[in-house]
Amino acid sequence: MDCLQILPKIQAKLITGENVIAIYEVVLMEGWVKTSRILSLVENASSYGFFVFNFIRNLDAISEVVINYAFPINNEFKINVDFEENSDISLTITFHKVKLLFEMMSCEKTKNFISELHRISEMSSKKENFLDFAWLSKYMNEATLSRSEEDNFQNHEANGQIEDTQVNTDLFVPRHSIARGTTPIAGRESAVRYQMTLKENDYTYTQSIRIFVGTWNVNGQAPSCSLSDWLNVDPEPPDIYAIGFQELDLSKEAFLFNDSPREEEWLAAVINSLHHKGKYRKIVLIRLVGMMLIIFVKEQHAAYIRGVATDTVGTGIMGKLGNKGGVSVRLDIHNTSLCFVNAHLAAHVEEYERRNQDYRDICSRISFPKFLPPKTIKDHDQIYWFGDLNYRITELDASTVKRLIETNSYDAILIYDQLKQNFKAERVFEKYKEGRITFKPTYKYDTGSDEWDTSEKNRAPAWCDRILWKGDRIQQICYRSHPSLKISDHKPVSALFNSEIRVIDAVKYRKIHEEVMKKLDKLENEFLPQVMVDTTEIIFDKVCFLEAQNKDLIIANTGQVPVQFEFIKKLDDSSYCKDWLHIEPYMGFIMPGEKCDVKLEVYVDKRSAYELNSGKDKLYDILVLHLEGGKDIFITVTGTYIYSCFGMSLDVLSRINIPVREVAKEELIMLEKNNDYRLGDPYPVPKEIWYLVDHLYRNGMKQQHLFEQPGLHSELLQIRDWLDTGVPEQMRIFQ
Amino acid sequence: MAREYDHLFKLLIIGDSGVGKSSLLLRFADNTFSGSYITTIGVDFKIRTVEIDGERVKLQIWDTAGQERFRTITSTYYRGTHGVIVVYDVTNGESFANVKRWLHEIEQNCEFVNKILVGNKNDAPERKIVITEDAQRFADQMNIQLFETSAKDNINVEEMFMAITRQVLRSKKESKERQAHQTNDTVNLKKGGHNKPMKRKCC
Repeated sequence: MDCLQILPKIQAKLITGENVIAIYEVVLMEGWVKTSRILSLVENASSYGFFVFNFIRNLDAISEVVINYAFPINNEFKINVDFEENSDISLTITFHKVKLLFEMMSCEKTKNFISELHRISEMSSKKENFLDFAWLSKYMNEATLSRSEEDNFQNHEANGQIEDTQVNTDLFVPRHSIARGTTPIAGRESAVRYQMTLKENDYTYTQSIRIFVGTWNVNGQAPSCSLSDWLNVDPEPPDIYAIGFQELDLSKEAFLFNDSPREEEWLAAVINSLHHKGKYRKIVLIRLVGMMLIIFVKEQHAAYIRGVATDTVGTGIMGKLGNKGGVSVRLDIHNTSLCFVNAHLAAHVEEYERRNQDYRDICSRISFPKFLPPKTIKDHDQIYWFGDLNYRITELDASTVKRLIETNSYDAILIYDQLKQNFKAERVFEKYKEGRITFKPTYKYDTGSDEWDTSEKNRAPAWCDRILWKGDRIQQICYRSHPSLKISDHKPVSALFNSEIRVIDAVKYRKIHEEVMKKLDKLENEFLPQVMVDTTEIIFDKVCFLEAQNKDLIIANTGQVPVQFEFIKKLDDSSYCKDWLHIEPYMGFIMPGEKCDVKLEVYVDKRSAYELNSGKDKLYDILVLHLEGGKDIFITVTGTYIYSCFGMSLDVLSRINIPVREVAKEELIMLEKNNDYRLGDPYPVPKEIWYLVDHLYRNGMKQQHLFEQPGLHSELLQIRDWLDTGVPEQMRIFQ
Repeated sequence: MAREYDHLFKLLIIGDSGVGKSSLLLRFADNTFSGSYITTIGVDFKIRTVEIDGERVKLQIWDTAGQERFRTITSTYYRGTHGVIVVYDVTNGESFANVKRWLHEIEQNCEFVNKILVGNKNDAPERKIVITEDAQRFADQMNIQLFETSAKDNINVEEMFMAITRQVLRSKKESKERQAHQTNDTVNLKKGGHNKPMKRKCC
């Protein structure tokens, strides 16, 4: 559809100052069917509304648009994008209790629309309190009104079908529109996905898991000490370990080439120091120069980890190289998606703007292209972001900081922490959370000691190494540093989280899935083409040579979908009916509730007469009435053929000395079969020929154009009866 | 949600007129039963999706007219069938006697197909004429699984359809394995492509 065509119609629904900034045609999944809708983003004084328009198409043009839904894009407005390889993108919009599922083609345009929607949503949620959505209320009312009108219509239609009259949208079937052929029944796959999405809460439950996040800038050192004091300090083993390193290898080789011996050394050291009570499996290791991230999960969860993907982003030299940047891992555990980002942001005390920029670059550049469109960091239920973020203390001098540290007055120092300041100003880590810091700054120490850096720079100690998170249902249990590890100028930091993840209850899932499938099967059967015929036995009583007879067959569409019918050939037959039968129309299209009269005409002429006379054929045929995509009905056609001398061999005729109609059927067959069989004395010529010639000779010699013009049909029938019954008195022709 | 189904099978129900072929289908597909008898004049089908060992199987089940006069036409519908359900009426001895003819019909029209024998209307012991032992003996002889069902009282219907589906699924897997076995020691030029299910030669 041409969006330009519809834009003025949508704009006309709005008033001045309300601007349509994006429109896009999508497919709305409603219950079991798909219908076209137009999504539109409307702006008014920096606040945005999400509109769903229904439209009425007249021929090719859009004749009318109706507001179907209107939502303010605020904190209540939730977007969820789901995509699978080689399949459509499904966009779920949740606003309060309303959940809408749209299907969109996987293409650049869709991606643009969705990212625009995300951008607006993010922007709006930041300044929620300053936005005025009052302008939207009249549209929301209008939408409610238009939907209730539709519902009334539906309920009226579904009259008596209790199952379908429930207001619950998941059972709603727009039968009238399916019947008109305007609504295609949704593909099963998308219908199932939709139903399962709606019922997600019925078959999932939440389960708490422990996630251990650790970060350490190891300053290029080899792992010469045990890491147990960092990784194995809690009473119970965590379910997941996400361990990040920075400056794993400061050598030129690591910078220029991909491999570093340090990777193996540190991996081994980590494996040796994981919690002694847990059995772990390494899920993935990703490294970019000195930044390394390793994910371990407890053996028992490994089977429920899916969709593991990694990406790295360098933001160092020239904004590209891997001396700074981030490495990231995403995965699904059960039904919850997690993303871990280990970052090393720009160094130098004053460079907090560069650090903010690095954060933004990592956000925009990390992408997991195995998904279509690629998932980014923000597309996850839970995000854990950690690393050497390098934010410092600038507004206090080193000695003041050190004095405050001695009295454990961390809060007093943290007021001047660049990360806290930038966070507060919403310049970085929007919507992230960080636990309260109750440990000493982790940088910078004299290597091998707990002494503050004694070099001439005399910088204030700072909390360079941090752990943040974003997402619902995450609770931090502890946030700490591990000063006993002294090999680096940084101290390692760790945090332990109690995170709730959604787990699919396999039994419930299967049960609900089965119910959904059953319902779909039922609908699929219901929407098979169905017709009734007024009879399956069509009986013609007496059929005479060259005399047509008609009967009607009424095909009524009693089903819920349009029907395409056709009489089809059976077995090796060359035609869908015998020579002596004609069906009009032999194929056609019937709308639900309508019917079609089919005319069956029996007409025996010279082509079929011989077969009928000789007993090789009978007035008997079974027609197969086939419904496209549905059943076949057998229609039996029978009749009694009145034998005639026409279509009989001259030889047989000459062996009969009584009128043909007085000959029994069996005798006729015998006559054809057996050359010696005769009824009375044979004639030298068939009596019928003799009658004809004699009659012509006596009465027809003066007839003009004899043999040049065809005779009248009625006369032909008279001649036939005269010859067949042997009552020449009836013959009046030419007299 | 991946594909709609893992397998698509066509099942065919045959047997004398009035033994309850349509009722069995109606019970299995829609879980309904109608006491009034409407003879099937033609062939009709319904679909149902079932799950067997975690695999989704979509069944397209064809119900045929049982009347003698349609026999030549209905035989064309055997084409492409994976499983045939031969039904008789336990209260009607003639319908059981005719089972042989129906089995013969299958042989004529299909090279290899799974079969199951079903004695329907097994809900009125006082009217039962075909006793289980006789039917079982015959089934054993023919090497076919026997089910006694009642579409009316919903006895054994689900089990019977699941049994034939399992059979069909097993045959499909076996033939696939055989195929894989045969091609094992030869160079497979199409390796990595989609493993197409072996086309069963039928009709």
